[in-house]
Amino acid sequence: MPKLNELAAKLGWEIKTKSVPIDIEVKTGYASDLLSDVLANSIEGDLWVTRQTHLNIVAIAVMRDLAGILLVNGAEPEADTLEKATEKMVPIFQTQMPAFEVVGRLYQMGISGERR
Amino acid sequence: MLDLSMHILDIVQNSIEAGATEIEIIIHENLAQNGLTIQIEDNGRGIAKEMRDKICDPFTTSRSTRPVGLGLSLLKEAAQRCGGEIEIQSEEGRGTKVKAFFQLDHLDRPPLGDMGETIAVLILANPRLDFRYTHQVNHHIYCLDTKIIREILGDLPLDSSWIFDYIKRDIAQGLKNIGAASFPKGMEVLK
Repeated sequence: MPKLNELAAKLGWEIKTKSVPIDIEVKTGYASDLLSDVLANSIEGDLWVTRQTHLNIVAIAVMRDLAGILLVNGAEPEADTLEKATEKMVPIFQTQMPAFEVVGRLYQMGISGERR
Repeated sequence: MLDLSMHILDIVQNSIEAGATEIEIIIHENLAQNGLTIQIEDNGRGIAKEMRDKICDPFTTSRSTRPVGLGLSLLKEAAQRCGGEIEIQSEEGRGTKVKAFFQLDHLDRPPLGDMGETIAVLILANPRLDFRYTHQVNHHIYCLDTKIIREILGDLPLDSSWIFDYIKRDIAQGLKNIGAASFPKGMEVLK
């Protein structure tokens, strides 16, 4: 299974949280912009693909023990989001691709959205 | 819509298209009642009675059937998603009042967004209209009123870049002072 740092390098993602370790394997992912939906349906270790950038995304990632957050469409995270993500060791990445495109690439690389 | 300020911009646009000359925006964060209320009131031409019932239906939004866009439908959807509702009062020839309620700490409540930028843009783009923006957090109140700014400025027009910057900064500082937009809430995990 690919690691976050390999995905970031291959798909050209910008790493927004420079000091957070990303030498982490990823097996599954979840894509949604509704925070209550992510809280209900994400699973531990998911890479979360979203367009939301505000501070609460970090809370969701911590609560659900997600592997990281990928912001799509070049969305810029707020300063307080990055600060808290760094403190809580939640890696945040940014891609210029829209969600559909990047999720397709991830699926091709073996990352599934299957719920266990 | 990513934040509440975008919803507000959209609703105020309706007011402007309805010929309003005075527009009041009130945001009230009531921490004790866990509520956030947005109120937008104008002195535009109002909404005809037969239109009022279907004004939130996204399938009656074409401009030939009514004078507003999708704004109200989207605001209603956002409020309902966050345990709230919207309320529209309108009188033909007098004006319209739109009120939206949100559960303050609802997980899906959009953040406030950049109110300074939003209000400054509205004033810059509509220098002849009057805007009053009041933001209340419990008992702390911030208010910006273009009538008062006009009194101070005299004949100087409101559509200048330094007025834009001044308004943007004043709102940002004012909201900070009253503790507005204290998003998120109830996220103990972040402490």
